[in-house]
Amino acid sequence: MHEWSIADAVIRTVEQWAEGRGRVKRIVIGVPSISFLDTDILTQAFDELKVGTSLRDANLQVKIKEQTFTCQLCGRRFTLKDVEDQVGEVRSEFGEEYPLHLIPTLSPSFIKCPSCGSRDVMVDNQDVTVEEVIMDETS
Amino acid sequence: MKPLRTLAAGKLKGKLAIAVMSSKGGVGKSVVSALLANVMSARVKTLLLDLDVHTMASAKLFGLEGRVHQVSKRGLEPFPFGDKLGVITLSGVVKDRWVLLPGANQALTMESLLAYSDMEGWDAVIFDLPPGLGDEVLVLGRVSDYLPLVVTSPSKVSVKVVEYLLKFLSETGKRPVLTVNMAYYQCQGQVVRPFGDGRALKELTERYGVPMVELPIDPELEEFVGRIQEYDGPVLEGVREITRMLER
Repeated sequence: MHEWSIADAVIRTVEQWAEGRGRVKRIVIGVPSISFLDTDILTQAFDELKVGTSLRDANLQVKIKEQTFTCQLCGRRFTLKDVEDQVGEVRSEFGEEYPLHLIPTLSPSFIKCPSCGSRDVMVDNQDVTVEEVIMDETS
Repeated sequence: MKPLRTLAAGKLKGKLAIAVMSSKGGVGKSVVSALLANVMSARVKTLLLDLDVHTMASAKLFGLEGRVHQVSKRGLEPFPFGDKLGVITLSGVVKDRWVLLPGANQALTMESLLAYSDMEGWDAVIFDLPPGLGDEVLVLGRVSDYLPLVVTSPSKVSVKVVEYLLKFLSETGKRPVLTVNMAYYQCQGQVVRPFGDGRALKELTERYGVPMVELPIDPELEEFVGRIQEYDGPVLEGVREITRMLER
């Protein structure tokens, strides 16, 4: 269900940006892998919410951004695959709307360094980003 | 482009936004926020949004520990208390688990909470901010033209620290209301001021031209932790005075 909020955010943001610039053909967004967003639901939400807006003719393309974690204590760099058991535990405890699905920036509170166990972990690619807006050159 | 920020600003547009803030911790911001939300909800639909992502005190005050927010197409649904009072807290996302975050994550988490809260139909939003002068103040300033309610205790050290915030707010052209929590108590008909006569506070309000409301100490209030929405003692009377000040 959270995918609807993401679609809402993207539409409001690009509508604001595109005002007076022409017609938008395609929007490419990046979403963090740890949020496990359902791209089909996200696209469906976008297609429903764009009706009646200036983005009615635009299509949405979703890119999953892989994340790199860096332990500030031992220096280990790791990926989501290295901590999939930890993420799995959180998902099974909370269900579909699990905390990192809703707010991926909470990950340092849920993920430990797989080498030293520290919670002092920095993460990149944490938020939803608009990567590209392709305009309709014929408009 | 900042999708989270745009969504948060869009949701807050046209709403009365009040930020309960202090540069000093432990002065009672969360209690004041909860009581203010309760008082205001008698007149308008009021949402309390707890932005103190580390302490999440509103969950303790309202008895929401361990409960999680439902998520709809419009975002995190507030915990309702009657028809006109709602509460949103990070505790309702992490199920009252501890939260420890690096600074950048703290700001983004606050921004996410603002963006993903369902605020549709709410007239007023009260923000319970974490203590300090940092991301919390900047994040809120990016998405809302809030009215500041600055909370202090009468202690000299608190008053001195809170002056930083008053200076900042005055520079940004905002006119706060100053609330002095735990200012006095009533004993056998006498007003007792355990932290002194409040001269430093009087000077502070004169220096910055801000109105001030004093809240009493009421030991009974402690009995209402977990059901703060039911409290109706002398502190609530002081909070009613705050709403009158904010309206001016």
